[in-house]
Amino acid sequence: MSAPVVETHSLAKTYGLAPVLREVQLRLLAGAGAFIVGGNGAGKSTLLRMLAGLEAPSSGHALVFGQDTRRLAARYRRRIGLMAHQSFLYPNLTARENLEFYAELYSLGDPRASAHQWLGRVGLAHVADTRVRAFSRGMEQRLSAARAMLAEPALLLLDEPFASLDHDGAEIVAALIRGALERGASVLATAHAIPEIDGVEFAVFEISRGRLMQHTHKEEVRRGGRIRSLLGR
Amino acid sequence: MSGFAAVLRKDLRLELRSGESTLALLALSMLVLVVLVFALGAARVRSVDAAAGALWVAMVFAGMLGANRALLAERDNGAIRGLLLSPLDPATLYAAKLAAALIFMAVAEVGAVVLMVLFFNLEFDASIARLAPILVLGAIGFSALATLLSAITGRTRGGDMLLPILAVPIFVPALIAGVKASAAALAGAPLESMGDWLKIMIAFDVLFVTAGYLLFEHVVDED
Repeated sequence: MSAPVVETHSLAKTYGLAPVLREVQLRLLAGAGAFIVGGNGAGKSTLLRMLAGLEAPSSGHALVFGQDTRRLAARYRRRIGLMAHQSFLYPNLTARENLEFYAELYSLGDPRASAHQWLGRVGLAHVADTRVRAFSRGMEQRLSAARAMLAEPALLLLDEPFASLDHDGAEIVAALIRGALERGASVLATAHAIPEIDGVEFAVFEISRGRLMQHTHKEEVRRGGRIRSLLGR
Repeated sequence: MSGFAAVLRKDLRLELRSGESTLALLALSMLVLVVLVFALGAARVRSVDAAAGALWVAMVFAGMLGANRALLAERDNGAIRGLLLSPLDPATLYAAKLAAALIFMAVAEVGAVVLMVLFFNLEFDASIARLAPILVLGAIGFSALATLLSAITGRTRGGDMLLPILAVPIFVPALIAGVKASAAALAGAPLESMGDWLKIMIAFDVLFVTAGYLLFEHVVDED
């Protein structure tokens, strides 16, 4: 059995007096895919930011690659790709310059070639030299996906990866997720509803008011019936 | 080293593309000098003490603006999070941001010195050359301090106003040393005679750069 890439124990987050996450127990094995579904304000984005080490938990702890996310060393950070609501892109740089910049930060062998390859993969090669500020939200989202996956991370954290995307864009991102899983990466993504990705099996968690529940079948969530927590809570 | 070069190159590219920081720094320097020339009146306009004071006031204002802008670009689209998640060491990020702020401030200083000579009826002679090491020391210290503090104030509402309130009082000892050394240089004194003032400036440079290098990772974190 492979080791868990993500593991949380009683993870909780509170902003002021408002609890955002409560007692979250989550395990994601190497090479596995999972979607966390929930409404606005359910705590999905906060959970991903904490797993990426960008926010500290109020209590409990989160382990990624067996390391506490509060003290992730550079060699572990480089194995995480995060696609968040914010694109982390520079509006006054072109698409190519943005990807080349991140390729340099990740010490990729040939930043120019990496940028070129990924621009092609997300269907933005024709606007490679256009500044990001001129991009539509969907184009920026695709470029953000390329930025997150540029260094081929072992763990992909994707916050609503299909938001703002048209059909073609959604197909491209779905193909990237499928490709990441095929090369053995783990993918943890969030969404408002369970997406369909052909040829990809993934676990489904539902998050509601900061509480996380795992489902055996997608249909359980779709039906909106009584949900059985596998975590005993 | 590649991370340092990548961040610095990116900051310079963004600046060359927009010119926002450099133009704003030069405009602010000019404004401060013009206001001070009129405020001091004709009688004091040939005073090297007044010229040195005016130059440093312009430098401090320009330095705050430069440091603020260097980190402002990272707040757009949450790019700072992309940097913090990358393998880039936060101390290296600080070093690159400091280098960028220093370059912007150096450009503003050159402009401010030219304007000071013109507005205060000074001569372009050896005394201006003697100003160079003093201004470099001042720029290093102030950029180091302002870059560190702007990482804190950039996260708060009204941070632009908070930066001068925090930075100027901490910088006062180095500011006094810089003004005194600059006045002496403009009066024609040799660098050796300003040894004590320069030592104070070097001490503050070491203090601010070391503090920034060690503390940046704790203050830049968004959480």
